[in-house]
Amino acid sequence: MPRATLNTAQAVLDDRERLMIDQAVARYAGRPGSLLAVLEAVQEANTHKYLSMEALRYIARETGEPPARIYSAATFYALFGLDPQGDNVVAVCRGTACHTRGSRDLLDKLCLDLGLSDREPDENSEADKLALTTADRRFTVRTVACFGQCALAPVVEVNHHILSHVNERSLQREIQSLEQGRK
Amino acid sequence: MPRIQDIGSFNAVREAGLAKLLPSIPRITVGMGTCGRGNGAEEVYHALNEAIQRGGLDVLLAGVGCFGACFQEPLVAVRLPGAPLVILKRVQAHDAARILEGVSTAVMPPDLIDCKIEEWDHITGTLRYGQGYPEIATWNTLPFFKGQKKIVLRNCGLINPSDIEEYIAVGGYQALYKVLIDARPESVIEQIKASRLRGRGGAGFLTGNKWDFLAKAKAEPKYIICNADEGDPGAYMNRNEIEGDPHALLEGMIIGAYVTGASEGIIYVRAEYPLAVRRLNRAIEQAREYGLLGTNILDRGFNFNIEMVQGAGAFVCGEETALIASLEGFAGRPRPRPPYPAQKGLYGKPTDINNVETWYNIAPIVTRGAGWFAETGSVKSPGTKVFSLVGKVTNTGLVEMPLGTPLKSFIYDIGEGAPNGRHVKAVQTGGPSGGCIPVEMLDTPVDYESLAQLGSIMGSGGMVVMDEDNCMVDVARYFVEFTHSESCGK
Repeated sequence: MPRATLNTAQAVLDDRERLMIDQAVARYAGRPGSLLAVLEAVQEANTHKYLSMEALRYIARETGEPPARIYSAATFYALFGLDPQGDNVVAVCRGTACHTRGSRDLLDKLCLDLGLSDREPDENSEADKLALTTADRRFTVRTVACFGQCALAPVVEVNHHILSHVNERSLQREIQSLEQGRK
Repeated sequence: MPRIQDIGSFNAVREAGLAKLLPSIPRITVGMGTCGRGNGAEEVYHALNEAIQRGGLDVLLAGVGCFGACFQEPLVAVRLPGAPLVILKRVQAHDAARILEGVSTAVMPPDLIDCKIEEWDHITGTLRYGQGYPEIATWNTLPFFKGQKKIVLRNCGLINPSDIEEYIAVGGYQALYKVLIDARPESVIEQIKASRLRGRGGAGFLTGNKWDFLAKAKAEPKYIICNADEGDPGAYMNRNEIEGDPHALLEGMIIGAYVTGASEGIIYVRAEYPLAVRRLNRAIEQAREYGLLGTNILDRGFNFNIEMVQGAGAFVCGEETALIASLEGFAGRPRPRPPYPAQKGLYGKPTDINNVETWYNIAPIVTRGAGWFAETGSVKSPGTKVFSLVGKVTNTGLVEMPLGTPLKSFIYDIGEGAPNGRHVKAVQTGGPSGGCIPVEMLDTPVDYESLAQLGSIMGSGGMVVMDEDNCMVDVARYFVEFTHSESCGK
């Protein structure tokens, strides 16, 4: 997974984001799982659905936790992204049932179609856990360990809507309609 | 909303729920679990709702959870007053008019009919729908359902998960009421011990013993945690259980808390299950309104709270010490045991962690007794287990069978073998820590010991069937990749 470095995301937080973080920190303070809840809320509120380094630093300051600990959690969990997500997010399920029904081929074809096939060689070894965004930021392709939709395998989630019994053709059609559609 | 404070108000809620489950007008339900939705259940619901509104029809429409036959989704159930519940399969939005016509003529479209239910054992109570329709097959005579025994899934697909009154109508929260009135926590722990219920997350530790450790631990506060971080790929039992019947989970936890002296409960659920999260939130809210959760539960002076925490996509957090680290705001890396969570768990306090499905077995054991529970399953592994039967198998879905049932019954009787005339090659059980069991060994009974003997495990209940087109080398590569990318880095 590509990691944002400390100098890629220097954008200063705007007031809205700062207020949002203040509220999330206050709401979950002292409760079990509070850091996860804060990170989830902040990422969800971000226009590009990611955690900027500035946001992480600000969360560290407001919670009084060392920045390393916040960064450690943000990079440990697959749900969190440190890079801006595309306008459309396509998540391919890589669970066992989906795998036996051809989800790896679906993923490869999807990356090929969106021009994401020239993944760096060392990333191939992590083919099962990726988040790639097209240069024009219109599409992010990511994988999910398992959606728990195994009876409908293979499944692909497009902008939070689950598609069942997906094949290359139906996925291609879906992507095309998004390409032609809004944005 | 009425706070239940005595048997009178309890029964009033129960009657209100029964009036919705067995109304004097026709009732139509749509299976609105994630698998139903993935096949178009929302469109079906809206089409039915619109047609009912437009025609001004006197029909009760409700959403329910998944009945298990995921391969036939969307499922719709129709019940006319005094008649059996008729289950319709593979319903599409354009079938709405035909179904409503069937409601008025009392003849359902034959091509949609799957089966009927005349009466249902909810374990905590019985619902009698009515007799009739000799031409329609009874549910448990169909291959997919034959031999299934629904204890954990007792309510799934039959009651509205967003309506606490329907849960109470089928005997829900009665076990809790009984436990609070009896006020003998140690005897409940003895009962769970006597049932020999084993943890359904995979390790198979005796639940009663775990509870006993927590009950005997002296500390304030004590925590109980429900592990709903169902991470095994190919497994989705917990998702369906929560989506279809969230109150049964809460009831199990409230009973567990009372008898072990815990005051705080946490449900750690995967973020990949947004619908389960929503239904659980709603259930927690309702349980509070009705006085079944929070302070002074059922007016018996018992206080207990449940909070929900969403995971963030880390397989390893299904391991209990990693889950605790995650709750404490760290990366979810496991910690060495001992100390065990029962001694030093969340924030260093005694903690009991049980899997979702373990909690679902509590109310049935309290209601029907340890002896009744042990009648099902094998001597060492009593009770049932829910499995997700998926992959290259004709009938995919959630299957609840007595423990000790041979693997081949799952694959060939319930699953009806591989689709398209292919041959089954192997079945993968236990997720990434399990193994692939070749077709020659499908006589093996499914229980904790037998699967471990083969070098696999039962795990949480995933059962992924592979056929002759699946390459076992590729499957091995898949699991190596999975465990590599999901490793906690230790």
